[in-house]
This record gives sequence, structure tokens and C-alpha cells, in this order.
Amino acid sequence: MRNRPLLRTSYGQEVALLDTTSKRVAVGGLLVVAFALPWLVQDEMLQLLGVACVTAVGAIGLNIVTGLAGQVSLGHAFFLAIGAYTAAALAGDPEGRTIGFGITEVLIWLPAAGLAAAVAGVLVAPLATRLRGLYLAIVTLGLVFIGAHVINEWSELTGGPGVGRQPPAPSLLGYDLNTTDAFLTRDQKLYLLMLVLLVLAALTARNLARSRVGRAFTAIRDRDIAAGVIGVNLARYKTVAFGVSSFYAGCAGALLYVGAGYFDPTSFNLLLSVQYIAMILIGGAGTVSGAVLGAFLITLLPRLTREVPSFLPFISNSPVESPNAYQLETVLYGVLIIVFLIFEPRGLFGIWIRLRNYWKAWPFSY
Amino acid sequence: MKDVLESILRGIGTGSVYALLGLGFVIIYKATRVISFAQPAFMLAGAVLVTYLVKPLGFFVALVVAALVTGALALGVERLAVRPMIGRPVFTVAIITLGIDIAVRVVVNALIGLDVRHVGDPWGLDTWKLPGGILIEQRHVAMVVTTAVLIAGLFLFFRYTRTGLAMRAASYDQEAALAQGVSVGAVFALSWALAGALAAVAGTFAAVGGSVSESLWLVALTALPVIILGGLDSLPGAVVGGLVVGVVQEVTATYQGDFPWLGGNFSVVTPYVVMLLILLVRPYGLFGTREVERV
Amino acid sequence: MKRLGAITLAAVLAIGGLTACRGGDSDNGDTSSSGGPKVDVGITKEPCPKSEHKDRGCIYLGIISDLTVGPFKALAVPITEAQKAFWKRVNTQGGIGGYDVDAETYVRDNKYNPQTHNEVYQEIKGKVLALAQSLGSPTTAAILGDMKANNVLAAPAAWTSAYAFEDNILESGANYCIESMNAVDYANETFKPKTVMAVHLAGDYGDDAAAGTKIAAEKLGLKFIDVKTDSGTDKQAGAVTAIVTQKPDLVIVTAGPADVAAIVGGAAQRGFTGKFIGTSPTWNPGLLQSPAAPALKALYLQSSPWKTFSTDSPGHKAMRDALGSSITPNDGYTSGWVWSYPLLAALKKAQADGDLTRAGLLKAAKSLTKVDYEGMLPDGAGNYAGGADGIFRQTLIYNPAAQTSPTDIPLVKDYFTGPTAKDYKLDKPCYEKL
Repeated sequence: MRNRPLLRTSYGQEVALLDTTSKRVAVGGLLVVAFALPWLVQDEMLQLLGVACVTAVGAIGLNIVTGLAGQVSLGHAFFLAIGAYTAAALAGDPEGRTIGFGITEVLIWLPAAGLAAAVAGVLVAPLATRLRGLYLAIVTLGLVFIGAHVINEWSELTGGPGVGRQPPAPSLLGYDLNTTDAFLTRDQKLYLLMLVLLVLAALTARNLARSRVGRAFTAIRDRDIAAGVIGVNLARYKTVAFGVSSFYAGCAGALLYVGAGYFDPTSFNLLLSVQYIAMILIGGAGTVSGAVLGAFLITLLPRLTREVPSFLPFISNSPVESPNAYQLETVLYGVLIIVFLIFEPRGLFGIWIRLRNYWKAWPFSY
Repeated sequence: MKDVLESILRGIGTGSVYALLGLGFVIIYKATRVISFAQPAFMLAGAVLVTYLVKPLGFFVALVVAALVTGALALGVERLAVRPMIGRPVFTVAIITLGIDIAVRVVVNALIGLDVRHVGDPWGLDTWKLPGGILIEQRHVAMVVTTAVLIAGLFLFFRYTRTGLAMRAASYDQEAALAQGVSVGAVFALSWALAGALAAVAGTFAAVGGSVSESLWLVALTALPVIILGGLDSLPGAVVGGLVVGVVQEVTATYQGDFPWLGGNFSVVTPYVVMLLILLVRPYGLFGTREVERV
Repeated sequence: MKRLGAITLAAVLAIGGLTACRGGDSDNGDTSSSGGPKVDVGITKEPCPKSEHKDRGCIYLGIISDLTVGPFKALAVPITEAQKAFWKRVNTQGGIGGYDVDAETYVRDNKYNPQTHNEVYQEIKGKVLALAQSLGSPTTAAILGDMKANNVLAAPAAWTSAYAFEDNILESGANYCIESMNAVDYANETFKPKTVMAVHLAGDYGDDAAAGTKIAAEKLGLKFIDVKTDSGTDKQAGAVTAIVTQKPDLVIVTAGPADVAAIVGGAAQRGFTGKFIGTSPTWNPGLLQSPAAPALKALYLQSSPWKTFSTDSPGHKAMRDALGSSITPNDGYTSGWVWSYPLLAALKKAQADGDLTRAGLLKAAKSLTKVDYEGMLPDGAGNYAGGADGIFRQTLIYNPAAQTSPTDIPLVKDYFTGPTAKDYKLDKPCYEKL
């Protein structure tokens, strides 16, 4: 029998990852397109999409602690930084100017980066059991500032602000991913690596959300006292949430700058944290697909707004005059976020739900 | 001894600017339960306005006009971008205020132009000598006096006027206030306007004796630890928090040279360190209301 | 519900617009034609979009600068404007071997963020021959690897000593490190200091200058103190206290203009009477209206890699003519103009060699032994063939606070090379030695 939406005949169906045929087809199609992209679009675009994939991993991580478990963290940049520097130090050139151990195997430094960040997350978690809401948000923000001070000062590791260091050069089981060879260009390889990571991360997050742990998170988010009363160990699950979320952030941080080939300690600031919060809110908090959509939107949005002024010939492109194209592009970035959240507070995921409902009944949409 | 006293006096001066900024955040928080990330942009806008108005109007009139204009700007922003979001999750609103910050700051930066600008205050870097050879900067005295006057004004306003009462009622329980005929919408608008005006005054005083450039908005970020350590919903907390942060920062700046292992310019991160330490002991800040949770 | 249909359409269009198809990389693969120079990326036979010379082809140059919300906006905007005017003038003077130069189509804002910088660079990389400007050192570092891989040449908008080691960067003037060495040498002759303090921002800008100060101080046998500060007028308390308590005779300060006013003003008000020398680009004419103006007048001098806007030289005059009279004098314009000469020289040389490909341009740039700056820099500047030994080592000292009008800034010492800088062997970027 064909699956009907909302008709479940077994518990297995109810909890299935892809519960309808159309979902299976859509996800399959999306994956095929995503894996075909390296042979369809230019390297420049691939690099950006690769960054979007990695960003999405980070956003999924933040979504676990903020969207699922309801603990708003503005400290994501701090965990990204820990991941980025752990990976860079492990994979770095031992002869180089900055600390490096020369382990370029991605299967080693990537999990290591995640673990290092996860440890930091677990250490921070006790704060979350003591503070709530905006207090927690601002305190985690404090982490970002204190962390920024440390990495700015520790120039043996980070290269120092304005000088920076190289991100890890990935190689997979001895196959060098950081150079162009006869089969694939560097950007194609990196994009594929990042895409695979995103798929893995998304799957794991979805499964986590359906598990006992995920349900405990949701209970805490919806009413932490009630959750405590029904037997959810608040301290333990908040710690788990921070640990898992930071693991994701660490992995994302490790790969975030690989495409660009350079990163600077001043990148890990308040703005970065806030961008991640914006991603999950714009995507639709609490859902993996929302986090992924939000990450792609925020990463690609500057690219889109840069195109806009060329359609408006009356806007000057001379930076000494006001208003000019560059101001317009930056203002647009801010305004689009505002407009978007006002008109679609449930985020991109909300739009998707409405779109789906619209087309489901098409052409009889009333 | 002289060093300590002088740095404490300087700290009280800069701390009172932080207090003003913190008050703006707290007023918005009390009314709407949102932290407004647009405050830095309003602060910069106010200071830039003063730099334009000071020539024709003189410093004090310019300050008042700039505060009013920034208040009106904040009011407009609240109407356009924040009012439609009533009842939405507070973090969504917070991100909206961040979008506002980006947009407003681009416009204000364009107004700053290519040269560093000045608010043209009457104090400059002049000092008074106190007994014992202790120097005190006139601008810091001016900051403290202005802050004290504004706080007194706010206190009287909240305590003795109908509107103030309405604002207190709305912050205590919006629905109950609504039922009693308080226009909660007007309360929201008024609190944004008040916060905008306070930010403008704070921005101007942050630039007194110095100059206005794009980086001035960063000062406003210091207000975040200030309000947290004072307690998010406490006006006295913002004032005490501001002064504590100001003094700690200045005293650290005086002695950080003796502790090179702290790294360069450690005083910049002290507000966050102080915040973390205080919150570990008091999770709702020094004066914040402990939430009573019912299931 | 029509809105949803529209949203779908918009999304599809947006995605389609962004993902230009692969294989379109070589959209201007027209190689040497009818005896003209060999060309590859960034040069078209079609005239430039705004060109009046319809018979000429077009050489596209990219500009990546800090145009809206970054910390160097006040400098970056006039730099960009001057560079556009510079290349326009090149076109009215006949262009380069039958080509006009376009530096207007691919101007991008980096917001002083390395990632954004890399993003816009990737966006325009396939369409430009070289970069007429790549502003900032951390930002440029983010694209340097790719530039080397693709033979892209760039004129920087920074003076870090690391560029002496990069073939792909056409730097002009003395770098931060050499400049502060010269500043210390000058002060050593004039004020006879015993203690020198470097107050600087972090990063290769501030650290580079501080390292130069340190090297000079060590060579002259002076005591050296290193004080780091942050950007923002409220963050200078630590620096001011360090100056007032340790009482150096000379402070070399490397920070933003507003920071310098806060440091000099704050220190003077607390009784400090030593001298300050600010390394470029710390000065801004707006500081004369600041409360710190009396202190600046009494204590402050400014070192500079080249002469100010109103100087009388053929290059300066050409710049003022090209920019017109409507602009306020600003040394951002001067810098943008000066930085453009080496790229022009390289383009001319490459064209003369008959090879305007990226590799050809890079080779031409590497072989330059001198650049004609039209009198804006003295002879001997622009020796790129000499590598790190060929760097330009002359600096000027100005007293900008004593100016009577924006066009009359008293020159304290004309181009000179101090003894430290003269003998100094640059073997790695200075900031690594701090």
C-alpha cells in the first residue's frame, strides 16, 4: 500500500526518519544533486557551498543545545575556536612558525577537534544548570570575550591577531585533499568532504532527537521544572546537550577555514556567535533541516545582496558618495534578516511547511 | 595611594557612562523582556548627531536635541520592526534588533565621513586638583553629575507619574496592566524611546574628551556584563554594575603592567571576568529578581 | 497564497543565478591576436563598460577594500577613489598597448574580514587580471595562497614587512618596521631619549611597528618597553597608565587616530612630557579639533612613508587634478595614488614584453628594478627585483599638529634613512621578532 501522509500503521512508521515516499524521493534527489554539484558548478561557488556545509554542521550543533534543549548559548564562537585551533595545531607543520604536530589525517584531527571542544562544553555546562535564559546567553558571551583574549595572546598557537595561521591541510587515508590533481580540483575534494560530514552530522542529529536523550532535551526546553519532576536529570542532560553541541562546533570549526586556507584569531567574536543564533532562528529553531537551511541562507545571503545593486543603476558605486552600492548591500543584509523574521517567525522551515501544504492541495488550495 | 584614588575616580566617571547604557538595556528589558542589540547603534547615532549639532546649538542644547531625535528614531524602529513581534520568542526579537543595529550603523558610519569627529564638549581634558594632589578630570565629574541627574529624573518619573506607574505595572504583569487600562503598546514605545535617548547621552559622554569614530559602538558592548552583574531587571543594579565595572576596569588598567602573565591590555576583559565571578555566587546578578517558577 | 508561488520562483531564480555553470572558466580565452600581446584572464577585446575609447580592449583590475562598517573605512574610501581616478588618467593618456584599464567594475567590500575578503576574491578572481588594491594584511593573507597558485598580482593597502617576501605583492614605500626604526633614529638624534616605549595595537600592523622600534632601541642601546593596547577610545586606560608610570622619553604609537588622541591627551593631562611619534596611518586632520589638540601640538610628531596631499610634485599635482576640487584633502587619496604606480609599471613592462598574461605580468613585476612614481617617492623606490634587500628604506617626519591649514603641514625632516634601517637585514617579517 502506498504511504499516505499522516496514516501510520505501525510504530516503526511513526518514528521512521523518512516516513513518506515523497520525502524519500525528495531527500534522495537532493543528495544526488548535492553530490553531482562538483561537476556542475564552478570552483568558486563550490568553495562557498563547502563553507555553507561546514557552517550547517555548526548550526546543527547549536540547534541541539538551543533549539532542542532550550539553552541559549552565545558562546558558539568559543567552541568553534577550540575546534579550529585543536585541528590546526594537530595538522600544522611541525617546522612552522606556530605549534604543529604534522598529523594531517582528517580522521584523526577532526574527531580530536570535536572532542576538545566537547570537553570545554562539558566544563561550561555547570553554568547552564545554575543560570537560565538571557543570563545564560550573556554569560556564554563572556566566554567568547575571555576566549578571544586568550587566543589573541597565545600567538605561538594562533599566530596572533592580524597574522594568523594556516588551517589544517586535510588528507584522507593518505590521499591529499588539499591539492588539485588529475581527477579532482582542491575545491571539489573539499566540498565533497564537507558534504559528507554534513550528511553524517545531520543524520546523527536527527537520530539523537528521536532518542531518549532527544526527548529529554525537548522536555527541558518546554518546561525544565516539569521535566525535573518527571524524572529527567537536568544537570546530566544539560551537560550532554552542551557536550554534543560543542562536539559539532569543534568539528565545524576545524573545517570552517580549510577552504580559505587562512584564519585569524579575531574571527572568533561576538558577531560569529550571533550569526549562528540567527541561522537557527531563521531556519526554524528545533529542526535539523531548519538549521541547515538557515546556515545556507546566512552564508549565501551576502553573495546575493552583492548582486542586488547591479540591478539598481541609479545607486552610485562610488564609495565616497552616500548612499552607495556597498552601504546598500550591508543594509540589505540587516533588513532582510528583520523582514524575514517579522513575516516568517517560524523561519525557512515554516515557509517549507506552508509551501508543502499549498502544493499538497494544488490546484484546490482553498 | 594617589594612584589608586585617581583610578577609582576615573572608574566612577567611565562607570557612570556604562550605568547610563545599562539603564537603557534594563528599561527595554523590563518592558519587553528583550535585550536590544540595537542600543550600540543608537549610542553611536546620538554621538554623531551631537557632532553635527554642536556648532549651531552649543553642547548642552545639542545634547538634548540629539537625545530627543535618537529617542524618536528608536520609537520609529520599535513601531516598524519590533511591535509586530509581540508574543514572539524573545530571541527572535533580539536577532531582529541585531539586524537593526547593522542597518542603522551603516547609515551612521556614512555620516561620520572620513575624518574623526568631536562632540565639542566644554570640559576637554581639563582637571581639578583635590587636596593631596589628587587629580580629577572635569569630564568625569560631568559624567557623574549627568548620570545622577538622569537617574534622579528616572526615579521620580517611575515613582510619581501616571505613565511611570503604568510602565511599572506593565513590566510587572502585562495582561493585568492591560486589563486595568494601561496601553502596553505605549509603554513599549516609551521604553524604547527612553532607552534610545539614554544611549544617545551615554554615547556623547563616552566621546567627551575623546572623539567619535566608527569604533565607538564597541563601548556599548561593555553594558552587557554590566546589566547581567547588576541583575537584568534592576535599575539600581545597572547603576551599581556600571560603577563596579568602571572602577574594576580602571584599577586593573593601572596595575596590569605588574602582571605581564595576564596578557596585553587585560582590563578590556575584566568586565566579563567580574560578571562570571558574581554570577557563580548570585545567578540573578546582584539585584535581579529571583524567578519564581510554577509548573 | 500567490506569495508562495512567488517565493518558489524567487528561490529557483536565486539558486540558478548563483550557480553559473562549470566550464565557463575561460570566458575570455582569446589569446594573442594580430601581433598584440599574449593575454589570458581578465582582458577582453570588447571595450570597457564605461570607456570612451571604443576601439580599445579592456584590462580589468579588481579592488577589494573596507568600504562600509570596517575599522579602516575612513582610509579605504579615499584610497579606492584615488585609484579609480589613477586608472582613468592612464586611459586618457592612451591606455596600455591598445587596452583601457577598468578598475570600477569589480570593486568589492571586505568589511575587514578575512573570510569575506576571500569570498569576494573568489567571486571576481576569474574576471580580473590583477588586483589594483587588496586592503589589510590579515585579509590579504587570506588570499595570498590562492594568488600565488594563480599568478595573481596585487597592490596592497598596508605596509607590513611581510610583503617584502611576497612576489605577488607590489608594495610601495617603507614598511611599518623600517618606518618606526627611522622614527627612533630621528628621535635619538633630536631628543636623546634613554627609554623608548612602543604602544601599539595587536597584529602585524602594530606588532610590525613595535618590532622596528625594539630593533632600533636595542641597536642604539636604549631601554625598550612594549605595551599592547586595543582599538577604542575607552580602552586606552592601560596604555595611558603604562606611559605615565614608566615615564619613557619617547613613545612610538601605532593605533587608530581616535586611539592616539585618547593616549596622547590622557598621558599629557596626567603630567607626561615625553615625545610621541605616531607611525602612519595614525594621524587624521580631525584630531586638531579634539580636546587632545594642545597635547598633540606640544608632544606629537608623525612619521610617514611619503609626502602629504598638497606636496608640490608632478605626481601629487596629477592626483589633485584627477580628483578635482570638490574633495577634502585626505592622505588616503595620496596613498591610493602612490600604491598604483608599481602596477602601472608592471603592466607597461609586460605589454612591452608582449605577454599580458597573469604569468607574464608577474614576471614583469618581479623584474622591475625601479618604478617611476612621478616624484612622489624618490629615485630608487620600487626595486622588486632586489627582493627583501631591495626594499625602500626612506621615511619622512611631519609635525601635523602644527599645521596652519590642511594644505600646509610642516615637514620636520625630508626623506631619510636612519642608521638602523640602513644596516638592517630583513630576513623575516619583523613582527615575528617582537
